[in-house]
Amino acid sequence: MTDKLFAENEAEALEQLHAQGLTDGLPVVIPTDERVARMVLATGQAAELSLGDMGPAGGSATIEKIAVAAVMAGCLPDHMPVVIAAIEAILNPAFDLTEMQATTHCTAPLILVNGPARAACGGIASGFGALGPGFRANASIGRAVRLAMMNIGGARPGVSDMALLGHPGKFSYCLAEDEASSPFEPLHVARGFNVEDSVVTVVGAEAPHSVMYSGDADAGDDHERLLNVLAIGLANLATNNAALTGGAAVVVLNPEHANILAGAGLARADICAALYDRCVHTTEALAAVNPGFASRLKPGALRHCFKDPSQILVLVAGGSGLYSMVMPSWCAGGHRNEAVSQAIVLDSFCEIPTRVEINDVFV
Amino acid sequence: MRDGIEAAKQGLPALALVTDAFWPQGDFVAKSFGMPNLPRLQLPHPIAGTGQARMQAVAEDLVDDMIKALSA
Repeated sequence: MTDKLFAENEAEALEQLHAQGLTDGLPVVIPTDERVARMVLATGQAAELSLGDMGPAGGSATIEKIAVAAVMAGCLPDHMPVVIAAIEAILNPAFDLTEMQATTHCTAPLILVNGPARAACGGIASGFGALGPGFRANASIGRAVRLAMMNIGGARPGVSDMALLGHPGKFSYCLAEDEASSPFEPLHVARGFNVEDSVVTVVGAEAPHSVMYSGDADAGDDHERLLNVLAIGLANLATNNAALTGGAAVVVLNPEHANILAGAGLARADICAALYDRCVHTTEALAAVNPGFASRLKPGALRHCFKDPSQILVLVAGGSGLYSMVMPSWCAGGHRNEAVSQAIVLDSFCEIPTRVEINDVFV
Repeated sequence: MRDGIEAAKQGLPALALVTDAFWPQGDFVAKSFGMPNLPRLQLPHPIAGTGQARMQAVAEDLVDDMIKALSA
């Protein structure tokens, strides 16, 4: 059973939650008994069912506690299948969540959604500005996962979450792949799922880094130049991927850039392989900026930033234009903070009729 | 801290060396993993990257306390 707080009214309840460090600093929806019970009911699961223990505090991630986080984040019941799958994914030991929550690095679980859940779970945005404000499902799902990481996992800035500065994706970091605009197979298919599956993929990622490229259809090496500039972003010598090597990273191609690569006959696997080949540094280049990380390397040796091409996750999202995004990763922990994909279960969820009581609303 | 906890769980003498900036996190992790009294010693922060001479000096300052803690 989840511990309860008592308050005279919602305004007082909000102040209590803020005062006890149970929010992300923004106002939350008060997780009353009724709201939490309705959210639990929507999942079709028992309230006390635990998905696992969440570090570093080791709290049990029960359906009820996850529902509390989801209510606070402003989730609709429709969002819950993605929230639950994302929690399952970050609890996978390969994700190294306990260590990731405690690191000094600026990392947050980037939540990528593929398949029918993109529409069925509240309409998860994948187009213009999908990682920015204005999209309830993206904002609420990512925020619910963060509040669970804080209130079940116990991540508190400067005490147990030692991120030196963090990044804004630690509020919410969720988007869908724009499968309709993509010339490639969906990301989850590349990761071994069927196209009709709904899947969430989590990656411990830095904030998005912009990669600018202006296409030129008259240039025969258009795609080569795009790959080169994407690799410069990914293999940036200041990143953990370059210094530590290993781990995953994400490339979010806007549809225009995706079509430049597809137009050159490249499939997703070709792009990953081409980027892998380009994300490489010499011992001397590493030693020039971070000698401690190059001390065990032989002079003249080449070191790839990634273990293999599959560690570079390529997807299509955002509006069309000059800018794609790369997200380097933390890539530490016992499993190098592996990217984890988890099936989203849609058919065990109940439809809950919405009941809204409004007295005065100011807009 | 986690290394110390894992060593202690295996029955090995354990002492965690924690810098002062990470002392609250050390307390949090020790409690979370059920070993709130795991022995630990406080180091000045930062320690990494401060050079061999300073690390040697810090080690010399602490070595007697380390031996004492591990012998207790």
